[in-house]
Amino acid sequence: MTMSEVAEVLQAEVLVKGDGMQRRVGHVMASDLMSDVLLVDEEDMLLLTSLASDQVLRTAQIVGAVGVVVVNGKPLPSSMVNVANDLHMTLATCRLSKYEACVAVHQALHPQ
Amino acid sequence: MSASGSQASVEPRDERPALGETGNDPLVLLELIQRLKVRDVMTSDLVTLPRAASMQQAQELMRQKKISGVPVEENGRFFGLVSIDDIIRALVAGTIHESCGRHMTTKLVVLEDDMPLSFALRYFDRYHYGRFPVLNRDRRLVGIICQRDINRALLVELTRELHRLENDSVRQGGDGVASSLYLLREFPICKYDFENAGKAANQIKQVLQEKKFPPKVIRRIAVAAYELEINLCVHSDGGVLSWQVSNGRAEVIARDAGPGIEDVEWACRDGTSTANEWIRSLGFGAGMGLVNVRRVSDEFEITSKKGSGTTVKSVIYLEGMPS
Repeated sequence: MTMSEVAEVLQAEVLVKGDGMQRRVGHVMASDLMSDVLLVDEEDMLLLTSLASDQVLRTAQIVGAVGVVVVNGKPLPSSMVNVANDLHMTLATCRLSKYEACVAVHQALHPQ
Repeated sequence: MSASGSQASVEPRDERPALGETGNDPLVLLELIQRLKVRDVMTSDLVTLPRAASMQQAQELMRQKKISGVPVEENGRFFGLVSIDDIIRALVAGTIHESCGRHMTTKLVVLEDDMPLSFALRYFDRYHYGRFPVLNRDRRLVGIICQRDINRALLVELTRELHRLENDSVRQGGDGVASSLYLLREFPICKYDFENAGKAANQIKQVLQEKKFPPKVIRRIAVAAYELEINLCVHSDGGVLSWQVSNGRAEVIARDAGPGIEDVEWACRDGTSTANEWIRSLGFGAGMGLVNVRRVSDEFEITSKKGSGTTVKSVIYLEGMPS
C-alpha cells in the first residue's frame, strides 16, 4: 500500500506531497517520543504522531520515513510546511485519534 | 650576501625548515605553507620613496598610508627601509629634514619572492620584525610582506582547499564508498535552539545521500549526529557538532563547554534523563539519546567532568571494518 492510499484510508489532508506519496508503507510507528522513533530500523515506515513540531519532520528525515501524519486534527505551525518542503517529506494531518489511525492503517495493511 | 654601502643586505639561505618542526600543524596547513611562495602572499602594490626624499616626507607618507615602514628604492633598486624607529631617532636628533638615504636602515634581512612561505614564517619567528622587503632574482624590490598578508593569504587558501577537498578529491572505492578524507564539517549548536535543532544532522544525511553512501551506513551516521545534536541543544550550554569521513570510517563528535555530566555511566543507561517537562513536551528527553548513539556506533567514547565540558565521539565503520 502506498502513502497516497494510506492518506485516503485516514481521510488525511496532505499538506506537502514530498517524495513519499508513491512509496510503499511497510511499517507504522505511532509515537510522540522522537528518540523512540530513532530506534526503529525500518526504511518504509510511516510516522503517526500527535506532536506538531519541526523536529518530527527532522526525525522522520533521519530515519528515512515515508511520511508523517499528525493525528487529532492538530493545527500545524506554518514552519512545519516549510520544513517538510525543504526535506521533501510527505506531511499530512487527519482528524482521527492516534489509536483510531493505528487501527485504520492496520486494517488496510492487513485485511481479514 | 653581506651588508655593503647603501645596498641592503640579504641573509644567506642556509637552512630550510623541516616538516617535523611544525609537526603539530594540520597537514593541510603544513602543505600550504610549503606550496605557497612569498610572491603569492606579499603586497606588490608598493609605496616607496627615493633616497633624496626627506625623513619628514617618509613620516607623512607613513601617516597617510597607515603603514609602519617605507622602502627606499630607485628604478627597482632597493637601498633600505625607513621604519618608525628611524623616524623617532630623526625627531630626537633633529635630523627629520635630512634625506632618507642618510638615516634609513640599510642592514636589512630580505626575502626572495620564490622562497616558500614556510621560510617567511621562520624569519618572522626568528627576527621579530614587522615586515620584510621582498626582492626578485635580479635583486629588484618587488614587494613587502607582513604577518597580516600571511594570515589573509592562508585564510583564502584554506577556504579554497576546503572546497577542493569537498568537491574535487572524492576518491571512490569499488563499491562507491570514499576511502580517503573528503568530508569535514562543523556546526555550532546553541542551547534550547529548537527552531534549528536537527538541521545539522539533516544536512549531513543529505550530503551522504548525494555521495551515494550505503543506506544503512547513512542511517547510522544520521541517527548518531541527530541524537548528539539534540543532546547539545537540550543539555549543554551550547557546543559544536563536527563530523568527518576519512579512511573508511565516519566520526561524529559533539563537544560542549558545560555544564558537564556528574555520572557518565548513569547518563548512558536506558531511560535516564535530566530533561525537564518542557523538553519532554517537544518529544525529547526520554533518556535514550546516548543509548541510541552507542547502539549505532562501532566505537563510542564519552568524556565529561561536572563543571566543565563533555565530548562524545561516535565512530561508524563504512564497510564493516576499519581500514
